[in-house]
Amino acid sequence: MHELPIIKSIYKSVITKAEGAGAKKVKRVVIEVGILRDFIPELVQKYWDFISPGSIAEGSVIELRELDASAACGRCGKEYAITKENIGNPQCPVCGYRRGRLISGSELRLVGIEIEKQEKK
Amino acid sequence: MKDLTYIDLKECILSDNDGIADQIRELSVKKRFFLWNIMSSPGAGKTTFIIEIISRLKDQFRFGVIEGDVESTVDSLKMQNLGIPTVQLRTGGGCHLDAAMVMKALESLPLDELDIVIVENIGNLVCPAEFDLGADLPSMILSVPEGDDKAIKYPLMFSVCKALIVSKTDSLGIFDFDFEALRINTGKLNDSLQIFPLSAKSGEGMEEFCSWLKQEIESKKYQ
Repeated sequence: MHELPIIKSIYKSVITKAEGAGAKKVKRVVIEVGILRDFIPELVQKYWDFISPGSIAEGSVIELRELDASAACGRCGKEYAITKENIGNPQCPVCGYRRGRLISGSELRLVGIEIEKQEKK
Repeated sequence: MKDLTYIDLKECILSDNDGIADQIRELSVKKRFFLWNIMSSPGAGKTTFIIEIISRLKDQFRFGVIEGDVESTVDSLKMQNLGIPTVQLRTGGGCHLDAAMVMKALESLPLDELDIVIVENIGNLVCPAEFDLGADLPSMILSVPEGDDKAIKYPLMFSVCKALIVSKTDSLGIFDFDFEALRINTGKLNDSLQIFPLSAKSGEGMEEFCSWLKQEIESKKYQ
């Protein structure tokens, strides 16, 4: 359920931005989430559908783009990707060392929104 | 014809939280206190550990405590009984503390009279890791009964911490807990994590931890 407070802050931002741009309706919301956030896409849409009714964002679709994490090797410093597949056992692709430091993986970005403006005559 | 427009935003969603966390960092430098965030799962022994730390160091440092709990004031009453200025944050179901809540709690503590403010976070290994509180020392407690494999299961929590306290070492004879496996697992994504095995009950390892903590506090640069 850690998604809920975050979805609420996305919601606030989406409504402000959409209204500021003169939207009558929000159709699509694109977010980027690092894999370490452990976001479940189905839950994100469910929470969105729970908080958005009655607003211009009602019925809109959340497009969740997952971002791989990255780590720096503890020996040679090489930066490499941490994916859902190798996260339990990461290894430097250059020197093979297995200790390192996490650099990224907890991103949370509102990338953009698709809105519908006034109907044109 | 309906007019569809795509607006590029590229906006960080937790920027509100991170902004307040920065304000907390500034406040702690200005008011000269050391902020220590303690995270763990429920029952790892946060409260017992904090009480033990306070009783060992109360002659050297003035403590304040921010207690985070989903419900109840059980823990803050224990702190108040020790004569420690305490603020209870009750989240009413919320699974973590955020920077705004901590800022509010700090405002009601006598900061000019404190050297260390301990934040006892909500017992949870997922959500608290996602919210920067502006702490000088983000740390977690892992108790021996929970097992040595938790770093693989909760990678974010283990990678945001500077210190890992392995508590309840007095129960090592009952549970299988492999410190080497723990070091391997935590080192995968946080190779500079400091690990402190200890027991608040028997006192084993407490002295080593306290002297490390004192160094951390003394190394903080105030204006």
